[in-house]
Amino acid sequence: MAYEPVLTAFVNEPQGYTLDFYLQRQRGYEGLRKALTLKPGDIIEQVKASGLRGRGGAGFPTGLKWQFVLKDTPKPKYICCNADESEPGTFKDHVLMERNPHLLIEGCAIASYAIGARVAYIYIRGEFYHVQEVLEAEIEKAYTAGYLGKNILGSGFDCDVFVHRGAGAYEAGEETALIESLEGKRAQPRIKPPFPAVAGLYQCPTAVNNVETLCNVPLIVLNGPEWFAGQGPEKNGGPKLFCVSGHVKKPGVYEASMHTTLRELIDDHAGGMIDERPLKAVIPGGSSVPLLLPDQLDIAVSFDSVQKAGSLLGSAGVIVMNDTVCMVWLAMNLLHFYRHESCGKCTPCREGTDWLFKLLGRIEAGEGQPKDLDLLFGVSSNIVGKTLCAFGDAAATPVLSTMKLFRHEYESHVREGRCTLPAPWRATMPVFAGSH
Amino acid sequence: MDTVTLTIDGRPVTVAKGKTVLQAAIEAGISVPYYCYHPGISIDGSCRVCVVKIEKMPKLQTSCSTVCTDGMVVLTRDPDVVDARAGVFEFLLINHPLDCPVCDKGGECPLQDFSYTFGPAESRMDFPRRVFDGEGVRADVDFGPTLMLNRNRCILCTRCVRFMKEIDGDAQIGIVDRGYGSEIATFQEQGVHSLMSGNLMDVCPVGAILTKDYRFKSRPWDNPGVVDTVCTLCSKGCNTSAWLKGKPEWARGSRLIRMTPRFNPEVNGYWMCDIGRFNYHWTESDRRLRRPLLRSPSTRSGQAAALEPVAWQDLQPRLRNRLQDAAAAGPVRFLVSAHAATEELFVLKQVTEALIGSDGLKSVTVAWTRSEKPQPEQTTFTVPVTDAPNVNGARDLGYDVGTGNDGTPDLRELRQAVDAGRVKALYVIDPGPDGSLGDVAWIASARRSGALPLLVVQGVLMTDLAGAADLVLPGAAYVEKDAIYTNDQGRVQAASRAIAPPGEALEDWRILVNLGRSLGVALPYETASDVRQAIAGAMPGTGYAEADRLVFTRPIPARNWLQASNPSERWKWDFLFQDLPPVKGHSVQMEGLPPQGAYIPLKPVEP
Repeated sequence: MAYEPVLTAFVNEPQGYTLDFYLQRQRGYEGLRKALTLKPGDIIEQVKASGLRGRGGAGFPTGLKWQFVLKDTPKPKYICCNADESEPGTFKDHVLMERNPHLLIEGCAIASYAIGARVAYIYIRGEFYHVQEVLEAEIEKAYTAGYLGKNILGSGFDCDVFVHRGAGAYEAGEETALIESLEGKRAQPRIKPPFPAVAGLYQCPTAVNNVETLCNVPLIVLNGPEWFAGQGPEKNGGPKLFCVSGHVKKPGVYEASMHTTLRELIDDHAGGMIDERPLKAVIPGGSSVPLLLPDQLDIAVSFDSVQKAGSLLGSAGVIVMNDTVCMVWLAMNLLHFYRHESCGKCTPCREGTDWLFKLLGRIEAGEGQPKDLDLLFGVSSNIVGKTLCAFGDAAATPVLSTMKLFRHEYESHVREGRCTLPAPWRATMPVFAGSH
Repeated sequence: MDTVTLTIDGRPVTVAKGKTVLQAAIEAGISVPYYCYHPGISIDGSCRVCVVKIEKMPKLQTSCSTVCTDGMVVLTRDPDVVDARAGVFEFLLINHPLDCPVCDKGGECPLQDFSYTFGPAESRMDFPRRVFDGEGVRADVDFGPTLMLNRNRCILCTRCVRFMKEIDGDAQIGIVDRGYGSEIATFQEQGVHSLMSGNLMDVCPVGAILTKDYRFKSRPWDNPGVVDTVCTLCSKGCNTSAWLKGKPEWARGSRLIRMTPRFNPEVNGYWMCDIGRFNYHWTESDRRLRRPLLRSPSTRSGQAAALEPVAWQDLQPRLRNRLQDAAAAGPVRFLVSAHAATEELFVLKQVTEALIGSDGLKSVTVAWTRSEKPQPEQTTFTVPVTDAPNVNGARDLGYDVGTGNDGTPDLRELRQAVDAGRVKALYVIDPGPDGSLGDVAWIASARRSGALPLLVVQGVLMTDLAGAADLVLPGAAYVEKDAIYTNDQGRVQAASRAIAPPGEALEDWRILVNLGRSLGVALPYETASDVRQAIAGAMPGTGYAEADRLVFTRPIPARNWLQASNPSERWKWDFLFQDLPPVKGHSVQMEGLPPQGAYIPLKPVEP
C-alpha cells in the first residue's frame, strides 16, 4: 500500500500555502472547529491515545507533556513552538512553515486550547527570515478569518499567535534555552527541574513543542487517534518527515510512515547513492546521534528501532555518506560546528569542544600522535553526561561514534601522517579543497 | 522547622527542608568543591565541579542544584564522581594562565585549593592557552574606578554577573560572545560603576576581578591577622573583618591592609559597600595627630603663636586651667561627632553633669552629616543616608539628636551663640573622618576673630578646625579602639582595636576620663571595659545590658596563616571555600599578643 502524504501533500502547489487552498483542499481549520467542541482534557487524552511523540529529537510523548502542564495555577500558560530548526541535516520544519503554515497555526491554536493557554509563541530560527514573512502574513489572514484572536469561531476561546525570530543560535533549540531567549536573555539552558511544564516562559507553565509535532495535532483531532496510530508501527504512529541529505541522488524532505526502512528511504525516496558508490555510514537523526553502518540499513526508521540499532531517530535528519568520506574529517567538521555553537555556560562543554576540535584538526592535518587518540576519547568522555543540557552529549557523540566504528581511520591518520582516503568529492569542492 | 535526613558518604545528615545537597555537605563538613555556587546569590549550576552521585538517579547530579529529600543517598567519593570532578578541573585549568605567583588571589584562591584537592595531577593540554587581552599582567584591564579585570584567569562562574543583577540591582556585567569565546564584559568596556563594586573581588573565586586598592599590596600569608569589627562609616554598621599585614620582623608592626565584609544575616549579609571597604586610608594619613598640641596665649604683638607639641602631663593642667577660667567667664559648650563611640559619650555625659549639673547634656551638641548614595532602585543592599555610626547611641544616652537617626543635626543655636560671643569655650570631639561634623568653618572663623575665646579639639586628623584650636588632643580612630556603636536598627555592636593609635594618641574615653578627673570629677574607670560595665549598669534591660560581654577580637598568633584568622573569619572561609590546605612551615607571631579564644582547627585535608 503506497503511503499517502498528509503533511506535505501540497507543498509543491504554487498556492498551497494560502488560507483558501488550506480551507478547500486540506479540510482547513476543521480540526480546530471540532476541538473547540471538546473539553481540553479530552484533546489531551486523544493525543495521548494517538501515541504522538515529539518530532524535535527526544521523541517524548506529546500528550504526556501537555498533561504535565500545571492545571491549578493563577498564572497564564504558554505554548512555545520550537521552530529553531538548527540541527545539521534537518530541514523539515522549514518546509512545513513555508509551504503549509496554516497547519502549524491550527496546531498552535488547538494545543493552546488543550493546555489552557491563550498565547502561543513560534520561536523561529534567526536565518528563517523569509519563512517568518510567510508565516506572519498567514497568521494575519487567520486573524482576519476569525481562526485566531478573540472568541475564535464563536466558542469564547481566545488565542494569539506570535512569531519571534531568534538570533540564530543552535542552543536556542534547547527548550529552556529557547524560553530564556524568548524572554530576551542569552540562549542558555536552565537547570531542570523545574521543568517548563511547571515553570517555563516567565516562570509560567509552558509546553514547548516542535513544529512538526504541532502540525500533527489537527490531523489527530480530525481523523481520530486510531487513524494516527495506524500510520506506523506500535508507539511510532503518524506521518513522519525525513530529511535525507548527503551522497544521494535526490536529497530532500520525504514524508513516510515509520514502517519504512532506512534502505527504502535512501534507495527509493532519495534515488540511491550518487555515482552508485558504496555507502559507508549513515547518521540517522541529525548530527548529534551515533552513526549506523551499511549492514544496519534494513531497520525501520522509527524511534524505537533506530534506538535498538544503537543510534537515535532524533530529528530524522538522515545524512548519507559514501566511501569517500573521511571519518576524522567528519568528526572535525561537526566539532567545528559544536565548538562554535556551545553556549559557554557549562565548563566541560565550553572548554571541551574547543579542545576536541583542536585535537581533531591536528590529527586530520596528519600531525597527530598516538596519545592523541586516547586523549580524544578521554576528553569526549569527560564531556558526556557532565553538562546541564544534552549539547555536551551531542558534541561528544561524533567523536565517540566515529572512534568506535572507524578507529582504524584515526590510526592511519596518525601512522601515515595524512588521510589515506581518495576523497575525490571533497577535492572538487572549493570549500574543502584546502582541507587535505 | 521541617527537616529532612539524607545520607552523604554513609553519614546521616539532617538539614532544614529545601536545602540543597551541597549546602547539606557544607554543613556536615564534607568536602564538595564549587565555584558558581555562592550562598548569597542564586544558583546557576554551570561550573559542574560539585557533581555527586545520587542513588536512583542515572546521571551524576550537580549538588548545588539538587534539593535534599528524605532518604536520599549521596556519594561524593565514588570513583565515578572522583573521575568526573577531576575531568572538570582539567577543563577549568586548560586555559587558565596559572600565573599564581603574580596573582593577588594566590594563597586564598579556591581554584588553587580545590584543584590541589580534587583535580588531576597534571594536564594533558598541549595547545596554546586562550588569551584575551594579552599575556601576563598585560591582561589586567581597567574595570571601572575601583576594579581591575583579568579575563585570562576567569572561569566564567558568572558569580559577578549574578551579584550585579541580584544584589547591586544594576546588571552592569554580562557575558559577551559565546562558547569558547565567552568573556566577562561591561557595556562598551566602561567598567563597573557601583557603590558595591568591591564585593566583586570577594565573590570572584579566581583572580579575575581585583580591587585596585588591594592589588599588589600584600599576599595572604603576609596577612596573618584578621580582626572582627564593625564599619563605622555610616549608620548601617556592617560587620567587617579588618585584615592586618604584618611580619614579626617588621619594626613598624602590622598595618591595616584591607576590609572585607563579615557575614551577618541581620545587618549586611555577605556584603559591604565601597565606602566602608576603601575609605580607611585616612587612619594612616600624614595628617594624623600623634602628639598633643598647644598654642601659647597670644603674644605681646597680638600674633597668634603656632601649635607646639607638648607632653600629656604638661597639657593636662593647662587644659584644666583654661577650661576653668572660661567656665568662670561664661558657658562652656561641647560639640560631639556622632562618630564618637558610646563609651566616650557616656564619660562625656558624666563630665558635663559634674561640671554643669543635671542638665549638663544641654551644653552638648551632636553633629553628623547626611548624604544620598546613588544606588539602583532594585538594589537589595541599601547604604543609609546617615553617615555616622552612633546617632542612636547618643539618643539612648539622652543626648539631644532631634529626630534621631533619620534627622538632620541642628547646629544653628550653637552657631548663633558662638558668633555672638556668648560661648567662652568650645570643646570639639571629632574622631574622624574629616568632614564628618559637616560645615564647621564658622567655628574656626569665630576663634580667629576672637568671638570664641577658647577652642579645644579632641580628634584624629589635623583638620582646619584643629588648626584653629588652642589645644589639640590626639584621639583614636575607629580601627584603633575597642568601642561599641548602636546602628540604625538599634543593634549594639562591637568595633575592635585592630591596630594601635599612632604616637602618643590615646583612646578617646581615656582622654575624657583624664579631663574629668583633672576637673575633680570622680570617674572610677581604668579600662574601656569598666566604662562598658557602667553603661550596662546604667541601662539594664536594654541592648546595652550585655555591653561588657560583647566580644572584641584580636589577631591570634598562628601556626599557619589560616589559623591566624580569627574564628569567625575562619568560619567564613570554611563556609565559602572549605578545606583550604595548610601552609607548610609557616609560623607567624603577631606582636606577642596572647591568644584569645580557641583556634578553630583545620579539618584534615583528605586525598
